Amino acid sequence: MRAIHFMKIDYVLTRKQMYFIPVFFVLACAVGRGVTESALSLLVTCSYMFFVASIFSTAPFGYCVGKNRGFLLLLPATVKERVAGRFLYGLSFMALLGVLCAALWGVYALMGYELPLWTAALGLCELAVGILMMALEFLFFYLFGEGKENWQHLSNIVRVAPGMAMFFAMSYLVGEIQDMTPAGMGVDLEAFAGKFMQAGVVAIVASLLLTAAAAAVCMKVIKKRDYA
Amino acid sequence: MKIIISNQSELPIYAQIREQLKEQILNGQIPEGETLPSIRQLAKEVGVSVITTTRAYNELEAEGFIATMQGKGSVVLPTDNNLLREQYLLRIEDGLSAAIETAKTMGMSKDELTDIFHNLLET
Amino acid sequence: MELLEVKNLSKHYKSFDLKDISFNLPKGYIMGYVGANGSGKTTTLNLITGILKSTGGEVRIDGLSREEGEKAYKEKIGYVGDESYFPDHFRVKHIRTILKDFYPSFSADKFNGFIREWNLPENKLIKDFSRGMKVMLMFASVFARDTKLLVLDEATNGLDPVMRTEILKLLQEYVMDGERSVIFSTHILSDLEQIADYIYFIHGGRTVLYDAKDELIENFLLVKGETANIPPALKKELIGLEENAYGFEAVLPSDKAELLGSAFLFEKPTIDQIVIHYIKN
Repeated sequence: MRAIHFMKIDYVLTRKQMYFIPVFFVLACAVGRGVTESALSLLVTCSYMFFVASIFSTAPFGYCVGKNRGFLLLLPATVKERVAGRFLYGLSFMALLGVLCAALWGVYALMGYELPLWTAALGLCELAVGILMMALEFLFFYLFGEGKENWQHLSNIVRVAPGMAMFFAMSYLVGEIQDMTPAGMGVDLEAFAGKFMQAGVVAIVASLLLTAAAAAVCMKVIKKRDYA
Repeated sequence: MKIIISNQSELPIYAQIREQLKEQILNGQIPEGETLPSIRQLAKEVGVSVITTTRAYNELEAEGFIATMQGKGSVVLPTDNNLLREQYLLRIEDGLSAAIETAKTMGMSKDELTDIFHNLLET
Repeated sequence: MELLEVKNLSKHYKSFDLKDISFNLPKGYIMGYVGANGSGKTTTLNLITGILKSTGGEVRIDGLSREEGEKAYKEKIGYVGDESYFPDHFRVKHIRTILKDFYPSFSADKFNGFIREWNLPENKLIKDFSRGMKVMLMFASVFARDTKLLVLDEATNGLDPVMRTEILKLLQEYVMDGERSVIFSTHILSDLEQIADYIYFIHGGRTVLYDAKDELIENFLLVKGETANIPPALKKELIGLEENAYGFEAVLPSDKAELLGSAFLFEKPTIDQIVIHYIKN
């Protein structure tokens, strides 16, 4: 229960950036429109969204530094609950963007675009990688810089780098696929759709398990630390 | 009842409270049978520590001015005349001792001092 | 009945050691935790609240240690520090919601009462609060719920005298029912000195003095006089001997006063004076 309260606190801490989500969403759609193939355009939009998410989800670390945390540190709760709350915040943020992307998928479908199932599967994998990135970043922050002041520059690089890498990797991949399809590949992607979906679901489950493991490590480390 | 604490006074704060209460009990300003404010109440009003007011009350009790009963607070006891007299005697002695001390410091003779004493008595 | 029990509390740092801090604070009393900047006051208080992890010793509040029940332990504590405590860009309403979520005993009515009484702005960001407003907001967040121990870390530093007097009254009201206690740290006692029942004085992470305040004041005398008149044998008894061209000033245990004789001026010291001379030593 208190973990949920801590998640709420993180949303209050980062409430300003919530206003930027619609802005980035529109921007992501615009970037996506640049790709002619509709299904791939959707993938680019999604990868851009997860790039944004991987930056935004670590925001509480930047808002919660130094002596200004005193109030939060003294709240009657355990370290476990506080760390769990932070991870819940990250996951819920990812889920929120996942829902946005799914909705966009729906809109595209309603507009009559052809959306092969394998793109959805690739979308799931993207989400899984996004969650994993987030978990790794959280791990990094908790191990090295949680609550530290004058950490802003390094933390900004850490926050932006993985998402950026993912975004460019995805753009590259989409470009490659675009060049290959449909004739270039010579295989019918749809035939493997079922397998793709399985892989997507497995990736999501695996990323969640790894996130839980990362949270457990953070709890252990933080528990013994001062100012925690 | 009134209490004024002076930080300049050589008397410790508990003693200032004790003396002022004693004075007011002796001259009847605080009548016999009256309940004094609780130790904590007084500490808060005067702005001193609880230990300080506790000590003032304890000493007043030991000297027979008040009686503290569990749950009922501290009540002013009747002052008998001997006690009153003794207290005033003590105060006169204190005053005179201070004068004598000063006289000694400046090397004044016994006669000179008694002269001053008599002169002051006349006026 | 002890409210706060601190036993051999220690904290080891590379460049600083807090060592063997031990004291008991009974229910209904106020303790002043005194020392120069960097003497270990904040470290001690942070060890008590549990923000820092000790490297030795134990702390109990109302009989309970943090290890035995972290939530219950933290609920007993009310903390008022210097200005930085709440996240900068919170508003009063955010703090109210969090208090409501986390503290079962929190009363929003009481809290709102204090906010009105002390004219704290509902809609300003905390970072735009004045120093005094921040401190009063901390008091509001403590007094709006049930606590047992009030921990003040340099809370009155830099506040104007009117506010300091107000806070003095608040602290005394807090201990009024004889069930709750206050520990405050400060490097200058001045007005807070009057209401403290106990004084704990540390320097360089070590205990220097610990006693009821009235005892301390009675056990020491402030001595002034001509340096040449000091009997050589007694020179070592003087604490923090401070000489100038015209004379000296020092603190002396009261029972040694007779040995020094009447050639000197004796005064009742303030706690600050005792502390200053001890630090000089």
